[in-house]
Amino acid sequence: MTTLALPRATKPNKAGGPVEPRFTYPKVAIAVGAVLLAILWLVPLLWAIDTSLKPEPETTRTPITWLPTAPSAEAYRLVLDQGSILRWFLNSTIVAVLVTALTLLVSVLAAYGFSRTTFPGRRVLFGLLIAGILVPPQVLIVPLFQEMTSLGLVDTYWGVVLPQVVAPVMVFVLKKFFDGVSRDYEDAARVDGATRLRIVWSVMVPMSRPILVAVGIFTFIGAWNNFLWPFIVTTDPSMMTIPVGLANVQGSYGLRYAQIMASAVLGGLPLLVVYALFQRHVVRGVGDAGIKG
Amino acid sequence: MTSIKPSRRSLLAGTLGLAGGLALSGCGSLGRDARVREWNLFGGGDGARLLQIHDKFVAEHKDIAFEAHTLAWGPPFYTKLAMSAAGGRAPEVATLHLSRLKGFSPTTMLDPIPVDLLAKAGITEQDFLPETWKRCLVDGTLYAVPLDQHPFVLYYNLEICKKAGLLGPDNRIKPVKGVDAFLEMLQAVKETTGKFAASVETTNPWRLWWTLYGQLEGEFFDETGTRLVLDDAKALEALQLMGKLAADGLTPKSSDYPSLVAQFTNGDAGLSFNGEWEVTTYQTAKMPFSMAPFPVVYEVPKYAGDAHTFVMPHQASRNSDDTAATAEYIAWMLKHSAEWAAGGHIPAYQPVVASQEYLNLKPQAEYRSVAPDVLFDPDAWFSGSGAQLQNEAGAAFAGVFSGRTTPRQALDQFKAATQKLLDTPSPV
Amino acid sequence: MAVQTPTRDQTGTPDAERRARPPGNGKPFTEKWGGLFFVAPFGVLFAFFLLWPTFSGLWNSFFNTSLAGVKQEFLGLQNWRDMFGDPAVWDSLKNTLVFTAMSTPPLVIIALVMALLANRKGLLGWLLRFSYFAPFVLPATVVTLIWVWIYQPGFGLVNGLLTAGGFAEIDWLNDENRAMLAVVITTVWWTVGFNFLLYLAALQGIPDQVYEAAAIDGANGRQKLFRITLPLMSRTTGLIVVLQLVASLKIFDQIYLMTDGGPNYATRPIIQYIYESGFTSYRIGYASAISYMFFVVIVIVSVAQFKLFSSRKEAGR
Repeated sequence: MTTLALPRATKPNKAGGPVEPRFTYPKVAIAVGAVLLAILWLVPLLWAIDTSLKPEPETTRTPITWLPTAPSAEAYRLVLDQGSILRWFLNSTIVAVLVTALTLLVSVLAAYGFSRTTFPGRRVLFGLLIAGILVPPQVLIVPLFQEMTSLGLVDTYWGVVLPQVVAPVMVFVLKKFFDGVSRDYEDAARVDGATRLRIVWSVMVPMSRPILVAVGIFTFIGAWNNFLWPFIVTTDPSMMTIPVGLANVQGSYGLRYAQIMASAVLGGLPLLVVYALFQRHVVRGVGDAGIKG
Repeated sequence: MTSIKPSRRSLLAGTLGLAGGLALSGCGSLGRDARVREWNLFGGGDGARLLQIHDKFVAEHKDIAFEAHTLAWGPPFYTKLAMSAAGGRAPEVATLHLSRLKGFSPTTMLDPIPVDLLAKAGITEQDFLPETWKRCLVDGTLYAVPLDQHPFVLYYNLEICKKAGLLGPDNRIKPVKGVDAFLEMLQAVKETTGKFAASVETTNPWRLWWTLYGQLEGEFFDETGTRLVLDDAKALEALQLMGKLAADGLTPKSSDYPSLVAQFTNGDAGLSFNGEWEVTTYQTAKMPFSMAPFPVVYEVPKYAGDAHTFVMPHQASRNSDDTAATAEYIAWMLKHSAEWAAGGHIPAYQPVVASQEYLNLKPQAEYRSVAPDVLFDPDAWFSGSGAQLQNEAGAAFAGVFSGRTTPRQALDQFKAATQKLLDTPSPV
Repeated sequence: MAVQTPTRDQTGTPDAERRARPPGNGKPFTEKWGGLFFVAPFGVLFAFFLLWPTFSGLWNSFFNTSLAGVKQEFLGLQNWRDMFGDPAVWDSLKNTLVFTAMSTPPLVIIALVMALLANRKGLLGWLLRFSYFAPFVLPATVVTLIWVWIYQPGFGLVNGLLTAGGFAEIDWLNDENRAMLAVVITTVWWTVGFNFLLYLAALQGIPDQVYEAAAIDGANGRQKLFRITLPLMSRTTGLIVVLQLVASLKIFDQIYLMTDGGPNYATRPIIQYIYESGFTSYRIGYASAISYMFFVVIVIVSVAQFKLFSSRKEAGR
C-alpha cells in the first residue's frame, strides 16, 4: 500500500504558523499537552531501556521499581556474547543496502523507460505495472516460498532481497515525477551527444534528487524493518535479519526480561539514531513523496 | 546461540550468478572441517544446560565445525524446520519430539539415520527400551534417535510443604492418591502460601488434562486412528476438576508459561504442575524445592509426556563427512546424557540410566520410575508437542480455568476442532 | 492504490508521450527497442517475483500440494469449497476487519492532533516530531517485545501501575475480550507517526497568506483551526484513511508476535491463517486458495477506494 503526495505547488510555511503574541494561556496549555503526549509516546522506549539496565531479579519484583537500584550493563554483555545479534545486524545491513540500491537502480531505469521512450508493448507493460501495484506481497508468501525452494534461494541473501526489489509503486512515482521534468535539459544533453543512459545519470538523477532521497529512505526503513518475507524465506538463524532473529529471542531466553529488553533496545537503536540524525530529510521525504511501505 | 560462522556455501550458492557474489566472507569451502549444524527448541534452563554440553563437545572435537541454534519452542521451531527441509538447506541434525515424528512426513522431510555409522560410534538398539526404539521406526527404517523422556511431574517447595505438614520423615512429599487427598493437599498448601497452591499453565493446559484423562483410562482415537472415541464423561470429569482448582483459588485463573515459573519461584505457589525441565531454573534461583511423580488423582498412574529425539532433516545433498560427524555428535550426546538429565529429563540411553552419576542426581532421579507410564499424545499428523491438537486444547480449555466457559462448552469446542482436523485431508 | 497525481502535470498525458509517438518502421533498431532495455531489469524481476507467484498461486489452489512434498493431485475446486465451509477462514477474516475498524479511527485522529501540536519550529518542535515518529522506525519485533513486557501480568508496567493504584490487574493478552484492544493500542503507538508526518507535510503546505488574511479579518485561533486548517486538511484525511484501511487489512506482524493469534484464536488475522495452513500444516494448495480469496477482497477494497477517492477529487475541483 502506498501513497504519494507529490511535490507541493504551494510554498511551504516554514515559519510553522501565523505570527501571534508570544505567550497566551491557550498556547502554553497546548505546548504542555504536546509535551505530555510526547512523554507518553516515549515511555515505552524509556521503560525498555530502564528494564534492560536492571539486574535480572529486579525486573520481576513487585511493586515495580522505577530506576534500577544498581544499574548494570550485564544484560547487554550477555546478549552480545551470544553472538547472534551481531550476525543479524550484518544480515539486516546487507539486505537493506542491497534492497535500497537495487530498488533505486531498476526503478529509475524503468521509470525513465516508461516516461521517455517508446517501444512496442510499452502500454501493455505499463498496464501490468499498475496492476502489480494492486498485488499485496502478503498474499504471495506461499507461492513465492515454493518458487524460492525450486530456485534454491531459501536461506540466501538473494532470496530475501530480490522480491523486495519489485516495487511497482516506486516506478510509478518516479515515472510521474519524470513526466513533470522539462525535456529541455535532456535535449541539450542530447545535442552534446550524450547517450540516453548518460542522460538518466547526469540529468534525471540530479534533477530528482529529493524524491530519490525520499524513496531511498523509505525503502531502507522498509527493508530493515520488513518482517514477513524474511521471516518466511530464512529458516537458518544465521541468515536471519534483526526483526526475524529477535522474534526467537523471547522463546529461547525464558524469563530473562532484562536480556529481552536489552536485545530490543539493540535491535531498535540503529534506525533510531539514523532517524535522529536525518529527521529533517525523513520529515521532508514524507512530504515530498509520502510513501508508505 | 553459540557463535555463528558465516555459512559460505549458502552465500555462494545464493548469488544466482548475479554480480558474481558479494565477496562477504572470503575463502571458499575446500578442505574444510566436517560441519554439524544443530537446531533445537530448548529455552530457559534446558537451553543454558545444552549450551554447556555443547561447549564441551566442541572442546573435544576440534575437527568438527559445530554450530547450534535455538529456535522458539513449538510451532515456530517446527514450522522453520519443515520449511528448511522443504527448502533443501536444512541443518545436519535437529531435535524433534517423538510424538511429532509421523506427522513430520519422515520419508520426505527427514533422512534415515545411518545405523551403521551410529553403531560405529557405539550406539545400538540394545541401549534403549524396546518400546522407545520401536517408536522411532517408520516402515522399518530408523528416522530418530531418542535422547530422553520427559513426563509431567509435581514440583514442590520444601519450606512451604514442610509448614503445610506435607513432608514425610525423609523430607520427601508424602504421596497422595485420589481426588479428595489431592484437593486436601492443595488446600493445605494454599493456606500456607496465602495465595495459590499450585502454579499451572492455564493458557495451555493440555498436559494437565491429558494426564488426568489418561489416569481415568480415557481413549482418544480408535485403533485405526481415524475416528474420535473420546469418553465425554471422563473428559468432563477432568475438566471439572481443572475448573474447580481455579474456582477455589488453588491455581491461578489465568497464567501463561513465564508466570507459572515466576509464581513457583517467588513462593506465590508452593507446588507446580509442569514438565520436569525447569530444574535448572529453580536451582539457579537457589530455592528449596524437590520433585515427585504427579499424584495419581484417579485410577491408574499415567503421566502426559513425550521424548526428545535427534533427527536428520532432509538435505538436497548430504556430505558424507558431515554425516559421519553428525553420527558422532548424536552418539556423544547420548553417552553424556547424564549431564542432560541434570536438567530434569529421564535419559533414554539405558547405560546412563543405570549409572551412579545419574542416580545421584537429586531431585532429577526422584521420578525416574514413571518412565514406563509416560503417556504420549494421540497418534495423528496434527498431534504431538506444540502441534495443532495441543493448541486446540489450549484454546478450548483455557476458558475452564478463567471461568469464561463451562467444561461442557470447552469440551464441545475441542471435539469440534478435533473432528475438523480429522476431516482435513492429511498433507503427509 | 490511491495516488495523487503530480501537481505539475495533471492532464494525464505527459508530453513525453505526445512527442515520442510510436516510431515508424524505418527507425533503427535501438531507436525502436532501446526503451525496452531501460524497463528490462525491472521487468525481469517483476515477472519472476510478482507475476509468476501470482499465477502459480492460482494454479496451486487447484491441487493438494503439500510442503512435505509427498503428493500432488489435481483437486479441482475442492480447496475452494473447503475454504467456504471452514469457519477458521471467516473468523480470521472477521478478526482482520475488526482490527481494521478499531485501528483506523485512532490512527487518523491522533495523527491529526499530533500534527497540529508539533507544527512549530525550534527545539521543542524537533523534540515533538522525534517523539511522535520515533516508534515508526522500530522493527515490529522490537515493538512487540517491549509491549508484551509492558502488558505482562504481575510485574509489567501497566499492571504494576494498576495494582499500585489499587486497581485490579488486566490480563491484556490472555483475555479474549481485551487482546485485540491491546494489539490496537500497540499498533497506534507504533504506526501513527507515519500519518502524523503526512498531516504535518499538509499543514506546512498551507500558505502563510491564508492565515495572514484571516488574522486581518480578526479570526481567533479557534476559528482559524476550524474554518481554515481542518477544511484544508480534508483531502489529506481522505488519502490517509484510504491508505490506513488497506494497510490495516494486511495485519500480521504484531498479532503473530504478541498473541500468536490467541487467546482462543480471538485475534488471529487471515494472513496468519494462510501462514499456518501453508507452512505449519504443510497445506500449500489450501493456503493458496485462501490467499487468492483475500487477494480478491483487497483488490475490491482498493478499487472501491480508488474510485471513491478520485471522485472526491473531482468534486473538490
